Amino acid sequence: MTATVERPSVTMPQMSDPSDAPQLAFRTLALTKRFGDVTAVDGVDLDVRRGEFLAVLGPSGCGKTTLLRLVAGFERPDGGGIEVGGRVVAGPRRHLPPEERRIGMVFQESALFPHLDVAGNIGFGLARRDRQRRIAELVALVGLAGLQRRMPHELSGGQQQRVALARALAPHPALILLDEPFSSLDATLRSQLRGDVREILRSAGATTLFVTHDQGEALEISDRVAVMRAGRIEQVSTPDELYLRPVNRFVAGFVGEANLLPGEVRHGEVQTLVGRFRAGHGALADGVRAEVLLRPEQLHMLQVDRLSSAPRPESVLTVVRRVFHGSEVHHVLRSPTGFEFEVATPSSATIEVGTRVIAHARAREVPVYPLDAE
Amino acid sequence: MVTVYSGRSEELVGPLLEDFTEATGIEVEARYGDTAEMANLILTEGENSPADVFFAQDAGALGAVAQEGLLAPLPEEILGAVEDRFKSPSGEWVGVSGRARVVAYNTETLAEEDMPDSIFGFTDPEWSGRIGWAPTNGSFQSFVTALRIIEGEDRAREWLEGIQANEPNVYDGNSAALEAVASGEIDVAFINHYYLFQRLAEDPDTAAANHFMTDGDPGALVNVAGAGILNTAENDEAARELVAFLLGEEAQTYFATETYEYPLIDGMEADPALPSLGEIGSPELDLSELSDLEGTLELLQEVGIL
Amino acid sequence: MATLTTRRSASRVPAPPAWLTGAGALVALLGLLPIAYLLILAAGSDESAIALALRDRTLGVLARTLVLAATVTTASVLVALPLAWLTTRSDLPGRRWWGVLSVLPLVVPSYVGGYAVVAAFGPRGTLQSLLEPLGITRLPELYGFPGAALALTLFSFPYIVLSVRGALLRLDPAYEEVSRSLGRGPWRTFWTVTIPQLRPAIAAGALLVALYSLADFGAVSLLQFDSFTRAIYVQYRASFDPTLAAVLALMLVTCTGGVLLAESRLRGRARYDRAGAGAARPPATVSLGAWRWLALAFCSVVVGLSVVMPVGTIAFWLIRGVSAGEPLNLVWDATLNSVLASALAAVLAVLASIPVAVLAVRHRNWVGVLIERATYAGFALPGIVIGLAFVFVAARFLPAIYQTLPLLLLAYLVRFAPEAVGVTRASLLQVSPRIEEVARTLGRRPGAVLREVTLPIIRPGLIAGGALVFLTAMKELPTTILLAPTGFDTLAVRIWSATSEGFFARAAAPALLMVIVAAFSLTVVLRRERDR
Repeated sequence: MTATVERPSVTMPQMSDPSDAPQLAFRTLALTKRFGDVTAVDGVDLDVRRGEFLAVLGPSGCGKTTLLRLVAGFERPDGGGIEVGGRVVAGPRRHLPPEERRIGMVFQESALFPHLDVAGNIGFGLARRDRQRRIAELVALVGLAGLQRRMPHELSGGQQQRVALARALAPHPALILLDEPFSSLDATLRSQLRGDVREILRSAGATTLFVTHDQGEALEISDRVAVMRAGRIEQVSTPDELYLRPVNRFVAGFVGEANLLPGEVRHGEVQTLVGRFRAGHGALADGVRAEVLLRPEQLHMLQVDRLSSAPRPESVLTVVRRVFHGSEVHHVLRSPTGFEFEVATPSSATIEVGTRVIAHARAREVPVYPLDAE
Repeated sequence: MVTVYSGRSEELVGPLLEDFTEATGIEVEARYGDTAEMANLILTEGENSPADVFFAQDAGALGAVAQEGLLAPLPEEILGAVEDRFKSPSGEWVGVSGRARVVAYNTETLAEEDMPDSIFGFTDPEWSGRIGWAPTNGSFQSFVTALRIIEGEDRAREWLEGIQANEPNVYDGNSAALEAVASGEIDVAFINHYYLFQRLAEDPDTAAANHFMTDGDPGALVNVAGAGILNTAENDEAARELVAFLLGEEAQTYFATETYEYPLIDGMEADPALPSLGEIGSPELDLSELSDLEGTLELLQEVGIL
Repeated sequence: MATLTTRRSASRVPAPPAWLTGAGALVALLGLLPIAYLLILAAGSDESAIALALRDRTLGVLARTLVLAATVTTASVLVALPLAWLTTRSDLPGRRWWGVLSVLPLVVPSYVGGYAVVAAFGPRGTLQSLLEPLGITRLPELYGFPGAALALTLFSFPYIVLSVRGALLRLDPAYEEVSRSLGRGPWRTFWTVTIPQLRPAIAAGALLVALYSLADFGAVSLLQFDSFTRAIYVQYRASFDPTLAAVLALMLVTCTGGVLLAESRLRGRARYDRAGAGAARPPATVSLGAWRWLALAFCSVVVGLSVVMPVGTIAFWLIRGVSAGEPLNLVWDATLNSVLASALAAVLAVLASIPVAVLAVRHRNWVGVLIERATYAGFALPGIVIGLAFVFVAARFLPAIYQTLPLLLLAYLVRFAPEAVGVTRASLLQVSPRIEEVARTLGRRPGAVLREVTLPIIRPGLIAGGALVFLTAMKELPTTILLAPTGFDTLAVRIWSATSEGFFARAAAPALLMVIVAAFSLTVVLRRERDR
């Protein structure tokens, strides 16, 4: 698979390789942080290019917030290093405090300074010179012109986050860190704000590291997404790559809705309920049991009573449940052995519960994950 | 300049110290506080005390400081002005004004002739619930010490237990006890004589009077306020002048007329409202013997008063 | 929006900067100085001291004193909670004035308050004479436990009012709104949502009340209650032997440890920061409706007893004395000295409380906890112990500052720092650490973050803490008598020196001046409290 980052076999002191330094805004190498017995961040390698928007996606407790706090300088790593804007900010013999890292930060809670007005908040990180001009620029950028004199408690949740973003952007940081900045907002506001934030960051040319547990959010606005589990990065890819070719079952299940259909390898192909699929690059020997990733929309159904010939009995499935998703409907199908999976159809082509169907996939080349031979 | 630690309140002796400055040109730096606190202060400071003179409310505190060797002997011309029973035998402190123990009584419920001749009269059950005292007060404790010396430990214990059996009200100090007598909360209280006169000055209708014991009764003890000079005094010359001033005619007149105390030098008379020292018939007792406070404290604790 | 977070394991606490630990440790060491002094003295004690300490009577006094402290604390909470709520969250008519009046009792010196309680409720007091025509000839016994509990409650409950008021004003209304939306009525919401959030503030105030009751001497002795502190004074006054007193004082210190432990438990482990501290709206005002009359009656009774009664007593002294020809005794220089020393003490205590509170809240490791707890050591000790401890050290080793204003201020600091620490700590708990972290990323060092962000945010708390210290330092007596520069007269000393000799008229003017200065400063402070 193409997804994982190449792990360079260099050690920390040589971290700045002049050839890729210019376009790299940020990177970590073998970054590790332990709290007692728990390794919260476990040898993480990440590269973020200048102007790139990278999401770190993972379930709660996976270590993504710790990763962010390490980058910001609120925690001291137990191993590995961090480089921001071509400068080592954390390493074996180096630990720059947060105020010297040129990093902007936006938290879930806006964390605005309650004693300062909007202009005061935005201007907090600015030198006196040019301050007014830059504040005006940012107020316009985040669309809050005219509200400079408001106090934080006089703003709506969305406006507060805009101010927080403007405040982070004001001193031209080398890297912006977003820690679940939308999760405290309601759904409509959230989707509108994240589009706006992406646009603001793009027009400011900012490099962004964005931590979230919401995969929809991550896929929607990121250039690349790093999936994290138990302190480790499982995969870093573009959103579509991640969706279509997850490197393992965890990533597959965490990003989007996944059907993992079991089967057995025969003649280089995996035989499943819904057809045969190529078993990787011939890597899998005959007889190995494996799972095939099929997204609900990659499958389609045919009603058994409309078929010209009778299907094999073991491939006849029953619609047991339907879940309405607006433009499409997910049908939960159950096999004679009790295995359940989902198939999506347009809302206009839904099939009644209880109907007997067969399913097959349009794609032939899909990710295949061998099951451990136990 | 002279530094005074005064266990006597500024209200009482402030004007007098100003008079001293006026008379001699010597500035007085005075620190006012409770006598026991001032004594503890000097004891804690030890050799490093900035004080020159300790001006105390009662002989016990002076004795305690003298016992630690912190007071210097006074010159004979000062000591000579005062009777032996009002000064330290080793000459480390001298009394400057006298205060008599009295029984203050409420004049609405009692008359002079109702009062017993001896403090032992108050152990009678007829006084049950009618008595007030202030056992944490220094003058009271000096009186108990006198009682022990004059009547012996057993009689002293007998008296304390007798009063205790009459369930006396326990007051914070002499003023509070007198206040209670005046309001009729209690009928009698064992206090010093001069509190009444201050009370009368503020409120001439005060329903209280002093009853003096006679015939050498321990209840007629006359104690003193006195002064001593610290042996670390830097201004010992000025200090001696101050103590001499306190025993001079001007100061003695002040004590007689302003604080209603007994002047202690020959030829000075107390306020006409007071019986003279001779009339009181104070028990024969050397005040320096009153320094055995520990024994008194133990006794008070044993009887369950403290 | 708001969240109530309890996560963050202890292992994630960042190490504090060295200067912060240093400053905190300095304050703590100062606070422990009296205990060190007591230990030195007690080391020289013999069996008689131990026997005295362990005799039944001493232990009985100790037990009764603890019961008194518990009673006073409970009663104070019951009085203070409704007052704090009514004066911040309801439409009580004239609530700003009730706000000032409900804190004013703090300035009444306990030896004046004690006289007032006796004058009003004593066996021959005002109440008795009012009831006499109704055939009531005997009131329930005031002297002893009931009177001491009453007097201490009346003059110490404002500690809780002040800390709870601050917390109520800073409370994010979102929590209460959520509760209401979940179907809980206002009453249940108050008990199940508001009160639990006020717990740290209640605990902080209650701690001060409890320790104050342990250390008070004036009120208990006027009300004839044999408290432990009184026993300590008796040792000092009667035996001139500081060893015995030291042994007793150390027993009191041990009890203080117990009280501190109880408070830690009560305070709870949850963190109460308002996540988006910036987002808080001012809380809504609750309309009392017909309950208003009951509320007004309640406030009137409390203020009547704790302010009008003592002030009335003082006024009575003044009128009686002046009409009998006594001088008015307006002591302006003593007033000036009082204001100066108390104001400086307030500033010093607030400054000292900052590193202590930051260590305890932001870097919750054992050093921080120890430092914070150590500052409380001085508050439960009788003033005379602290005073003599400073005399002992300074007269020997620091003659240059002995009997100077700076030394007096240091002693005030030891005595009153806990008042400021408690309030600063409670304010700090409500500031999200995220806010400080943002400031770090915007280029500020920890010191600058403290100066430019944290302190401005908790300013109302700092002012309230300063006010508390100001008021209590103004009435402080034993340390002032022992440590003030010679000739440095204060109002407290004037009042005490007059009342102790029965010069009530001459005590009246200084006492009134004290109340006026206090009322004035409180008005200013409570106006600032809202101004944020």
